[in-house]
Amino acid sequence: MIELKNVTKCYESLTAVDDVSFAVKEGECFALLGPNGAGKTTIVKMLLDFTRPTSGSLSLNGFPSTIAECRRSIGYLAEKHHIPPSLSGWQYLLRCAELLAMNRSEATDQCRRIVELIGMQGRENTKVGTYSKGMVQRFGLGAALMGDPKLLILDEPTSGLDPIGIREIRQLLESLKGQGMTIFLNSHLLSEVEKICDTAAIINRGRLLVKDTISAIAKDGETLEDVFVRLVKG
Amino acid sequence: METSKSLPPIIKITKYTLVDEMQQRSFVVMFVICAICVFLLRGCFQGNYMVNGQSLDPGTIVRTLSKATFHVIATCVMVIAALFSMRIFRRDRSEGMQSAVLSKPIARWQYVMGKILGLWILSTLFMFILHGIVFLITSINLMVFMPGYLVASLVCSLNLLFVVNAVLLLSLLMPDIVAFLTVLGVGIVGFVADGIAAASQSQIAQAMLQHSNGHPESGITFWKVVYVLWPKLLGVQQLAASLIESESTYGFGTIYPLINVLVYCLILGALLFRRFRNEDIV
Repeated sequence: MIELKNVTKCYESLTAVDDVSFAVKEGECFALLGPNGAGKTTIVKMLLDFTRPTSGSLSLNGFPSTIAECRRSIGYLAEKHHIPPSLSGWQYLLRCAELLAMNRSEATDQCRRIVELIGMQGRENTKVGTYSKGMVQRFGLGAALMGDPKLLILDEPTSGLDPIGIREIRQLLESLKGQGMTIFLNSHLLSEVEKICDTAAIINRGRLLVKDTISAIAKDGETLEDVFVRLVKG
Repeated sequence: METSKSLPPIIKITKYTLVDEMQQRSFVVMFVICAICVFLLRGCFQGNYMVNGQSLDPGTIVRTLSKATFHVIATCVMVIAALFSMRIFRRDRSEGMQSAVLSKPIARWQYVMGKILGLWILSTLFMFILHGIVFLITSINLMVFMPGYLVASLVCSLNLLFVVNAVLLLSLLMPDIVAFLTVLGVGIVGFVADGIAAASQSQIAQAMLQHSNGHPESGITFWKVVYVLWPKLLGVQQLAASLIESESTYGFGTIYPLINVLVYCLILGALLFRRFRNEDIV
């Protein structure tokens, strides 16, 4: 589903991603872990063709990530999600649906279903400017789920959510995983990752340190957090 | 998923650009101020003008004044179009719409094309409505019907495309306000140069040149080449204004400004697509 081959991204003198290669299979729930500035978001941006690699290649469903059409089956939630304050949550979702080439009636049906899924019934028609950070994040997740994507790329999906919200998102992700959706998750919440994901990769200073199943990474009584700290500090 | 009844992505982005801009308070304020100013001009058309003790023909007054108003509106809307365009990418980036659009199966060129079309249509409508008000005043109140007025307005929209393309491109390379001022500078230099060139063609200026130098400067100089290649925004406006009373004579010299600005639009558009293709989306 996702394949990175010897991907390097340099910003002038800084190497943000250094010769990273890994693959995520269909139906897998994968977590990309790393401290701040490790290069996680850069990898996500390269997957979405928001930025181009200096060398190496990225592919989605066997097609180069530079082809716009390969994003048809992808849902994406940015780390700091923003929605134009002049729109309501409903209008935003409707735009996202229309951009996926849905006609008005299909888009309306999808939006209604998504609003229910993210638990924002009754608030969808108020302007985004009045929403809390967590509510914006929920609508962002809703937009990512629009059109029933096969691959969900989530960059810190629980950012700004309270513990109840985090739990609801985790339950939602578990249910999506159960439906066979491939999930690519960037997160700092290692305990949540441990509960949801099958596989994980840890990167630090742009270099891939490990990529394996969660059970293979956190073995011999160590938690994922222990391994993370050991690898990153060591 | 049914796709047949949905609009192409470029049209959708054009629609969103139009809707978002029209919801901006600054747009509404600018439009209301411009419309009021044009309405206030109504009194000028009905004035009684005397030259050498003789009263001027009302029809001539209306035609002359409506032509002057045509130029003023066209120039003001160019500045307004630059103001709309200078912040469009920055706002889309900060409000998350750029990443929302480009994370969907939409190519970058489609996004840029949607933005260009949205801004061009918006500024053309803005200008067309203001010209339309003048047209209605002269037609209904003063009974002077000038069918070419609205056609001239549409011809002038080529200048707006130039401004939109130039400001969008420059806003990717430099701060928004610098991009705006640069395009404004290009326009002012073009207007002043065209003004000087027009004045130098007058009989008085020719006589003065002959008196001072013996003969006017001839041959190709660097500045003449720069002048000829400089964006002919005023030339397009004058060509459009000549359509108001069907007084134009068609020849290469007449339509050169149109070709000049059209070529600039194509070059700027191509550079904009190329620059945006390599832009990092945040």
